[in-house]
Amino acid sequence: MANKKSASGFKSQRPTSPHLQIYRWNVSSFTSILHRLTGVALFFSILALSWYITYYTYQINVADTSESCDCPLNQLINYAFFAAGTFITFALYYHFCNGIRHLFWDLGKGFEKSTTRATGLTAIALAIIFTALTIGAVVYFKMS
Amino acid sequence: MKIKIAPSTKTGAHHWLMQRISAIALLPLIIWFVLSFVQIAEDPQGYLPVFFAYPLNAVLGILMITTSLYHGSLGMRVVIEDYIPNKTKMHFYIMLVNFTSIVTSVAAVIAIIRLHLIG
Repeated sequence: MANKKSASGFKSQRPTSPHLQIYRWNVSSFTSILHRLTGVALFFSILALSWYITYYTYQINVADTSESCDCPLNQLINYAFFAAGTFITFALYYHFCNGIRHLFWDLGKGFEKSTTRATGLTAIALAIIFTALTIGAVVYFKMS
Repeated sequence: MKIKIAPSTKTGAHHWLMQRISAIALLPLIIWFVLSFVQIAEDPQGYLPVFFAYPLNAVLGILMITTSLYHGSLGMRVVIEDYIPNKTKMHFYIMLVNFTSIVTSVAAVIAIIRLHLIG
């Protein structure tokens, strides 16, 4: 890494700072990384959702004639969609809860070490609870 | 020893503020979206036209998609600026994200208006 050209095209001989895997995991770094990860995932999800709506808008009559079967591949695809949907639901709730945390930080509130830890754990817990409730509701409505 | 620093594009403060404003706007829109999603998820193909026939749903749907794509493109811009050191590639990906977001939001808005009118 020492001889690698840096961002400005400048040959750097200085030591690089330690990378991500060297640090011990803690709540603040985990929530921060997860916020960014879920944000990127949600960006691609909203793209997919928009194109899904666009696609079905022009396919309304075709959808009536499409056939469905219980063949293994279709089931596998359904499971994959279910797993992806669960992850995206979690990402949405987590980004929502942690985003509120970030907004409070922008107001200058909640910077104490114990507070950030408590709110971070609360955000993760709320995201998991809301995900379970939402998936539960969707499955319940599908069954009934 | 002279250290070269890439010149600022002078848009950071504005983007930072707009990221927060769009985040606040998204809070109620996401609550609406989640409640609607639970209703529609059972049979999306059947319910989408009926759903967007209601003016409130059409308006909030358009606002949700445009606002979240705006918020998302600002967020992706920050991520790209952080992880792509090559300036040419960085600007290419930022433009790609902006272009994709604009095209997608226009397509989605037209689709929702069409669903609203025929639903």
